[in-house]
Amino acid sequence: MSELHMSVDAARGKMPPPMPHSEAPPKITVRGLNFYYGQNHALKNVNLVLAANRVTAFIGPSGCGKSTLLRVFNRMYDLYPGQRAEGQLLLDKTNILDPKLDLNLLRARIGMVFQKPTPFPMTIYENIAFGIRLYEKISKSEMDGRVEAALRGGALWNEVKDKLNASGLSLSGGQQQRLCIARTVAVRPEVILFDEPCSALDPISTAKIEELIHELKEQYTIAIVTHNMQQAARVSDSTAFMYLGELIEFDETDKIFTSPTDRRTQDYITGRFG
Amino acid sequence: MAVQGDAMEAAGPYDRAKALSAFKFGDKAFYWITRSSALAVLLILGGIIMSLVVGAWPAMKEFGFSFLWTQRWAPANDPPVLGALGPIYGTMVTSIIAMAIAIPVGIGIAIFLTELCPQWLRRPIGIAVELLAGIPSIIYGMWGFFVLGPFLANTFQPFMIGIFEGVPVLGAIFAGPPSYLSLFNAALILAIMVLPFITAISVDVFKTVPPVLKEAAYGVGCTTWEVVRNVVIPYTRVGVIGGVMLALGRALGETMAVTFIIGNSFRISSSIFAPGTTISAAIASEFAESDGLHQSGLILLGLLLFVLTFMVLTVARLMLMRLEQKAGK
Repeated sequence: MSELHMSVDAARGKMPPPMPHSEAPPKITVRGLNFYYGQNHALKNVNLVLAANRVTAFIGPSGCGKSTLLRVFNRMYDLYPGQRAEGQLLLDKTNILDPKLDLNLLRARIGMVFQKPTPFPMTIYENIAFGIRLYEKISKSEMDGRVEAALRGGALWNEVKDKLNASGLSLSGGQQQRLCIARTVAVRPEVILFDEPCSALDPISTAKIEELIHELKEQYTIAIVTHNMQQAARVSDSTAFMYLGELIEFDETDKIFTSPTDRRTQDYITGRFG
Repeated sequence: MAVQGDAMEAAGPYDRAKALSAFKFGDKAFYWITRSSALAVLLILGGIIMSLVVGAWPAMKEFGFSFLWTQRWAPANDPPVLGALGPIYGTMVTSIIAMAIAIPVGIGIAIFLTELCPQWLRRPIGIAVELLAGIPSIIYGMWGFFVLGPFLANTFQPFMIGIFEGVPVLGAIFAGPPSYLSLFNAALILAIMVLPFITAISVDVFKTVPPVLKEAAYGVGCTTWEVVRNVVIPYTRVGVIGGVMLALGRALGETMAVTFIIGNSFRISSSIFAPGTTISAAIASEFAESDGLHQSGLILLGLLLFVLTFMVLTVARLMLMRLEQKAGK
């Protein structure tokens, strides 16, 4: 009962939503967020804060709403009719759920990397330059520099510097995923959302991407959805456990994995269900 | 399992090789049936080319290459003078104008249907486009003759002629007098006729773009236009060009509707509002009462249409190859 009251209070903004790393400024603030796929109530009163320059992992069994939450952050659900979100969602001071918000600008501020690599059907160079060109008019030499910087940021430069004019589709799966990360970084977002970025990759590529995430948090706020609990433990600073559309527990990663307070969190991370 | 075992025992000693050979026979028969069907295409194609060449031989011998650049078409002369320049010109001009209208409109409809259209409007428009493809060409011809032709001659044509009068080049292209029967009217009908091909195929291939790829493009902040321009169309260009080529093939060869409204004049005029003819319209309107060299000349026209279509397909192939090279494959 008291738990319910707490979440209701948080929804009304009386109480700050949970935020493990209180020393870092909040980047994304979620208060009383509900999300619906048509009639299906997929996210139920979610409250949390993503701290700036921290990695926040979302874990939970399939269908618990963690990917949905990510897709609310950059309003990707807007592409599909019948999906709607209610509640309060702030990026710094900007209301993300504002219907009049410029979605293209929002998505430039909040980049996303998907489960499957999604290189565009163009050359490696163009894959990176494409996103930059949407916002900035820069000279060819400046663009070359930006592309190189982005590919270095994606830890891909050494592998592709001799074949920038090859198709993005000619790369291996792990390279394609790093290309997608580089492409996301190139636009200079503030937040990067990773939706199970390694689930289609081999262990070596996975290790590279985890290392990359570690480096990226110097400059970006990162949210990552993963089914791999070791991965969540390795890369994240704080971890949120979600179950059936609810945020069950949200705390520092060490705490979640060593002494979770909720029974269901404990069951999940010890592999008793999910 | 037990039942199966019983059944096998009841069938007596189990001859595996024999059972397999029965399968082998089926496999062989299947292989030969499919193979001969495929070979039949080559045979039929070869046969058509052969008979065209044989039928056209007298005309080829008589006129040689000058057939290609002679404008005069006088089958009643003695000896007859036949030249294909008029029909070739008409075929190219009507097809080019038709494609210039149909490609942007057709792809535009496809983009609207797949990316922008509200759900409830999607089916009515989709069905209407498919129905457009099902209308017999003779009906397009009659509609063009009785409705579209007079309408264009009374409104659009005088308007264009008025605008471009005195302007160099354009003034000659849009020169009067307005006419019910003209190259432009035929091209417009052709555009309407080939539109469904372009739209239907484009819609089908646009639907094959993985949603996550589009989401990725929206994810870097693209507008719908940028997603379509930079992701959807490059991803599907082979399919879209295939649809365009199919449409162009139909435009080049379309006969009945064009014969109705093009005016069947072998004279080449610089104005697209003047009557003209196309290869297929010329054949359709004259073949029945032709004989001897005249008939042979018409068959030669058919052969030229065949060559023209073949060249278009070849150019399309080359274009696709160059596109792929540019995309870095």
